[in-house]
Amino acid sequence: MIKTSTQNELIQYVYDELADDARMQLEAVLMQDNELAETCSELLEMQFLLQNAVKSPGERAISNILNYSKSLSLQS
Amino acid sequence: MNKTTQLSDSALVSLYIAGNENAFEQLVNRHKNKVFTTILLIVKDTYTAEDLMQDAFIKAVHTMKGGRYNEEGKFSSWICRIAHNLAIDFFRKEKRSPMITLEDGSNVFNTLSFSEDSAESLQIREDTHARLRELIQALPQTQREVLMMRHYADMSFQEIAEATGVSINTALGRMRYALINLRKKMQYNDITYDKNLYSE
Repeated sequence: MIKTSTQNELIQYVYDELADDARMQLEAVLMQDNELAETCSELLEMQFLLQNAVKSPGERAISNILNYSKSLSLQS
Repeated sequence: MNKTTQLSDSALVSLYIAGNENAFEQLVNRHKNKVFTTILLIVKDTYTAEDLMQDAFIKAVHTMKGGRYNEEGKFSSWICRIAHNLAIDFFRKEKRSPMITLEDGSNVFNTLSFSEDSAESLQIREDTHARLRELIQALPQTQREVLMMRHYADMSFQEIAEATGVSINTALGRMRYALINLRKKMQYNDITYDKNLYSE
């Protein structure tokens, strides 16, 4: 059973928000604890999927925004 | 090469306020996907999401050009918050309910990018992402909130904790449950898909 505090540290690790000393300690534990390493791998997999699940808007919508901004600049 | 490409958001905002339109173009291109996805996850309609994304950036333009931009926070968090609020306002004004998710996973997300999806691998990847976006919408509100703030508004867990009035451990716990829930549901969907595939 993984402690809640360790699980929270794992989330910070996956999102690169863990301080250097805590990160090194956790990485040392990950080398010894297969269950924790597997959980870490699963979390990293989901984090990667989420990072890539963004959708792009159409180019026309972007052009509209940029043209609107330029038109305001011309007016002032 | 455009000299503004590697500048921070804060520097680009300053340049834009000083009249540099290229700086604004960089800002828009840097954040358009996350702003668009933030809205799309709420309104679930591509055309509405594009309209609201334009409204969000236009609101940002007026704030920045009007000298009312607060430089204390991150630009990414600020623009995603504007986008999020506009999407929520849209539902309130229209008195609409979120679209029902179809059992086969089909939805508006699958109707885009036809030209890019000719290869099978690209299609599978896009289907996976589309399914994931649907599953995000089905998460409990507190988990979805943390996930969207972390992934699309680029807020740290400390910033999310402060913004939502909870401890950092609560914010981390919500994120953990969100990831675990999503993974379970993705696995469940895969199993269902495989059974259907091999049943005939």
